[in-house]
Amino acid sequence: MTQAPLLRRITDYANRADPYPLYEELRRTPVLQEEEGGPYAVSSYYDILGLLHDPRISSDAAHLTAPDDDELSEPEATGLPPSFLRLDPPEHDRLRRIANRSFGPPHRPHRIDSLRGELARIVTGLIDGFGDARQIDVVDQFAHPFPVTVICRLLGVPREDEPRFRGWVDLIVAALDPETRQSGDPQFLRTAQEARMQLGMYLAELVEQRAREPRDDMLSDLVADHGPDGAMSTMEVLSTAVLLLIAGHETTVNLIANGMLTLLRHPEFLHRLREDPALSVRIVEELLRYEPPVQLLPQRTCVADIELRGITIPKGSRIWLVLAAGNRDPERFRDPDRFDPDREDLGHLGFGSGIHICFGAPLARLEAQLALTELVRRLDNPRLVEDPPPYRQNAVLRGPRHLRIAVDAVRPSEAVRF
Amino acid sequence: MRLVVDLNKCQGYAQCAFLAPDVFTMHGEESLVYNPRVGPEQREQVARAVAACPVGAIAVEGLREASDAG
Repeated sequence: MTQAPLLRRITDYANRADPYPLYEELRRTPVLQEEEGGPYAVSSYYDILGLLHDPRISSDAAHLTAPDDDELSEPEATGLPPSFLRLDPPEHDRLRRIANRSFGPPHRPHRIDSLRGELARIVTGLIDGFGDARQIDVVDQFAHPFPVTVICRLLGVPREDEPRFRGWVDLIVAALDPETRQSGDPQFLRTAQEARMQLGMYLAELVEQRAREPRDDMLSDLVADHGPDGAMSTMEVLSTAVLLLIAGHETTVNLIANGMLTLLRHPEFLHRLREDPALSVRIVEELLRYEPPVQLLPQRTCVADIELRGITIPKGSRIWLVLAAGNRDPERFRDPDRFDPDREDLGHLGFGSGIHICFGAPLARLEAQLALTELVRRLDNPRLVEDPPPYRQNAVLRGPRHLRIAVDAVRPSEAVRF
Repeated sequence: MRLVVDLNKCQGYAQCAFLAPDVFTMHGEESLVYNPRVGPEQREQVARAVAACPVGAIAVEGLREASDAG
């Protein structure tokens, strides 16, 4: 019997629930090009880390010599200029610096830290919303609404607009899923395209307002012309806002859902977390290694020939950096297939590394730490209803589509100290 | 608690300054300033900062003790 090529088995939905044996197989050929014109998959920890810091690796789609047409390619054009995720220096650096002035140190050192109380209120409200249900979908009822609410507060979307905003984001995010794109229901895709336009128009108006009357929010800072790099153009603000929304959404949903799933599969740590909220810090780091929300980076290309383990990757080739495989590389992590929040050895690739290291990492960490702590504290005797849960189609942003759990009760909230 | 940051390892990712902004401060894009002696009220923030450092450059003496006492 002939087997399908390994990279195709990795993207095959049938293997979504447990791709890790395939990554182990992949690491046996740490630089693998299976098909003519196909990507070079890199899967060992140190090779990936090296390439993430290598200036010969580009994130700019313009460097591709081969057409970008496999299942992991970009969805339809947004009509916006590329965000800094898909740019190289110096443009990447300029936009990321301006974005950072609105988000973190040195200019806004307390932006994220000061959100902690708000995050706790949002989490409490969502768990209160479970009511006296005995079965809960952690994805639909919790992990999915949480990050978009946070991003609204961060950007400065007024509360009364949040439901509308969320409606657009839900459609846009749904349209990014490969399943939706492949089934290609033209009606749905038109609705999603419409949502994208409306979100863009809404944000453009909000940006204009904030330029006239700045407030203490990210949009105001993005359009304020006070840094050495000047302000972003309105179009640049829009692509940055859409980037934060989309890149920050699904990934956080998956981190929380993968987290709850993993804790339910390792109840020892669930019980310990319930007793000791400080353990959430280690649990989230270990999750980022063990079940990273971004499994691989499929969109890098090399702008020069690169020699790696005796193989020449020619200029213009596409490279997959398989973070989830590197995270379980036994050369780097002892007993890598074991979920062990007690390990001293941090240093996962869950947020990438180098100049494109996850922009929202500090926020994602806080969101996941708080979410998991509160879920295990307030859910009485949580059990998985199905294991494995149904997964999303997406092989890159991998996570459960639903995570149904049964509980004996939802405990009332107490004052949350976070 | 006493803190030491290995400034040869530090790459200026600033994760610590996001998560414990009253302990770690960025001066400009890349240089880190920190207070090596921190009170127990900063314990949670410092624990988050230590774990978030991508290069593992932050060492803390007394973090666990502070945790047990708290």
